[in-house]
Parts: sequence; structure tokens; C-alpha cells
Amino acid sequence: MQSSELSFSISPSSGVPIYRQIIDQVNALVVSGRLKPGDALPSIRKLAESLEVNMMTISKAYARLEVDGVLTRVRGVGMVVAEPDIPTAASVKERQAELRPLIEQAVLRGLQLNLSNPQIIAVVESILRENRNE
Amino acid sequence: MNSPDVRIEVSKLCRSFGKHAVLRDVDWTIAAGSVVGLLGTNGSGKTTLIQCLLGLLKADSGLVLIDGENAWDLSARTKARIGYVDQRPKFYPWMNGADLLKYVGAMYPHWNAGLCAEYARQWDVPLFKPFGKLSPGEQQKIAILTALGNEPDLLILDEPVSSLDPLARRAFLRSLLEIARDENRTILFSTHITSDVERVASHVAFLHDGRIQWFDELDVTKERIRRLRFRSKRNFPASFSIPGALHIQVDGSLVVASVAAASEADIEAVCARYDAAVEVEELNLEEIFLELHHVDA
Repeated sequence: MQSSELSFSISPSSGVPIYRQIIDQVNALVVSGRLKPGDALPSIRKLAESLEVNMMTISKAYARLEVDGVLTRVRGVGMVVAEPDIPTAASVKERQAELRPLIEQAVLRGLQLNLSNPQIIAVVESILRENRNE
Repeated sequence: MNSPDVRIEVSKLCRSFGKHAVLRDVDWTIAAGSVVGLLGTNGSGKTTLIQCLLGLLKADSGLVLIDGENAWDLSARTKARIGYVDQRPKFYPWMNGADLLKYVGAMYPHWNAGLCAEYARQWDVPLFKPFGKLSPGEQQKIAILTALGNEPDLLILDEPVSSLDPLARRAFLRSLLEIARDENRTILFSTHITSDVERVASHVAFLHDGRIQWFDELDVTKERIRRLRFRSKRNFPASFSIPGALHIQVDGSLVVASVAAASEADIEAVCARYDAAVEVEELNLEEIFLELHHVDA
């Protein structure tokens, strides 16, 4: 995929810091396969210009994604999507434990909104369908 | 320009007007290269603080250092590196924008007329109408141009967008981002419009009760100041507390607490103690502003 086709959408007046919105969106693009290993991301300057945000915000997001092993810096190219490094070392249980607190927040909110169990599960399934891309 | 980084150090700054103490022991250090949004309610003293920073207003006590120089006694060399836009710009009303820029430019050892012309074009500034006949927004744009022409290392803007319409504001903020791209440049702008800060600023400061109540990176600020909702099967005591609380509201089995920097361990301890579930709500800058200025109804 050409980096120019990537469209990020950020909401500056959200409680989520902009750099984290970018991290989440890159992660989502990678997980869904719309960004493949080796694909280049827009340069810091370009992305800052198109999103109309501070360059430091973008460089912070890229730096975190690099630390997380999602992106890797390639000389002369810039930031590209890294080869997947599936954390196979961790057992399913451990990976589920990592996921649990995130889902817990969402489920609590669902209960508060008076949704039934199948209704909550339906939301999870639709998110899976949108992102699995199988 | 031999040392492009400008650092501002404020210590124990006090300023009163009559009996009214506007600034009370302001301590504040702004690192070079920061883009700082200074927020505060109307009358919180943003303009007074800015004028003391620039040596336009004498402090009653305390000290402001700009790159190690006392702000009240800045050298011409340092002054030439500063750009400043007043909240209500005043220029000769009979002069037009083009002449004004030439007039102001002549006072500086370095002046980039081409840059002024470029921004004037981008912001649609009428340069050939007398200043006195321009709308407040147009006057403000010209004032901003006069502050950019010397390509300052330190740019201080007092409510730069207050008179601009949303379109002009967006165009100005875009230019400000471009100006901020030079990482050695320090920018401080005051505003009460929180959304202006959210795109542009690297840091955010809240002036409240005559002091800098909060100063940190914008991202860190959003990560630290949060709203927590605790729900339990039992009622919470009225004496409920959590470290770092800004405001706590106890309502039977529900507690809404806004916190600055409560650790995950603190939150877990509360959950364990009251057998409660917690929901963490992230706040945008406007909500953070309100939480920091919380007044009990």
C-alpha cells in the first residue's frame, strides 16, 4: 500500500492524546492487514502537515511504535511496518490476561448501557469481523 | 543568531494592582523549543504574566530571566530575538499594513519581508487599507505579521486568535505549526479556547489563583488528569478519599472523582477496599480546564 493512501483521522479535542490515537490507528491498520510488513509510513513532516498537528506528536507516536516492534526504521526509506513478531513465548492464558482489563472496561460500560450478554458479544464479534480481514 | 534556544525562568514573581494580587509567587520554567499554551479564566492574569515576562510591566517582586537576562533590563540583542503580539494591537491608525511592516521592520537588524508577504497572502490580509479602518481580526493579523518578520527565537502571543473567525483561526494555527517546526523556537501563547491548544501545543499551563497551577506536556496532562467512576454494592462513606484527588463527589454507591496522577495501585486499593468496580474516563482539555477550576455548586 502506498503511504499516500493511508488516511488517519484524529480528533484533537478527545481525551485520548493525539499520539495515542495515531498509535491505535497504525496498530489497527497492521492487524487488519491493510498495512503489510515492509510498507512505508508517511514521513513525520508529511503526516504532521496533513493532520495539522505538532511534529513532535507524530515523532512520539512513531518512536513508541518502534519500541513496540510494530514499525522499524529503514535507512533512506523512513518508517516501515516491521515483520510480525507474534508473542508466541507467552501462553494463551497470559495473552488473555493482558487483554482482560481492556475488555472489562468495555463490558462494564455495556452493562451500564443496559445491554444483554448476546448484545455485548455481538459488538465484539462485529469488531472482529471488521478487523480480521480473513 | 549565535544561541537560538531561548529558555524562560520565572521565580517568585508577584504583581498586584492596588489591593488585588494578580500574580502570587509564580514559579515557572519553560524549556527552549517548547510550544506552550497558557490557559486561564478571564481575569486570571495571563496578560499581566506575559507583560512581566517581556519586561513591559515591572513586577513587585521576583525575577524573570530570558536566556539568563533579567526581563526588566533586556539587551537590544535579546529584544531583537523576541516577537510579541499584544491582545489589542495599537499602531498608527493612518498607516496601512504594508507601510507598518516596513516601519516596524526598519527597527530590527534582521527582517524577512518575503516571509511577511507570504503570510499576508496566506491569511488574506488587506495591506493597503489604513490600520484604523480595519476590522479587529484584520488588525490582529497585521500585529501577528509584525511579530513574525524578525523570525524570532521566542514568540509570545497574547490571545492571538481572539478576534479571528474560525476560518482565519485555522489558517493562523496552521502557520503557527509551520513556525513551530523549527525546533529551536520557543512559543508561548495565551488563550481561553482550549481546542486551539490541542493541535499546536507541546505543553500546557494553567494559571489559577495567581499561580501556575499545572504545567506539563499536553499528552502527559491528558494521561494524568482523569475522571474515575467507582461503583460498589454498598454505599461509600462521605469521607471517601483517593490520593491526588482534585474533586470528589460521593453519591450513595457511586463516587465520581477527578484525579491528577493517581497511580494504578491507588485505584486498585480503592477498588479492593470498597469492593468496587472502576471506570476510567479520559478528559479533553476543556474538561480538564473545568476540573482544575472546580467550584462546588
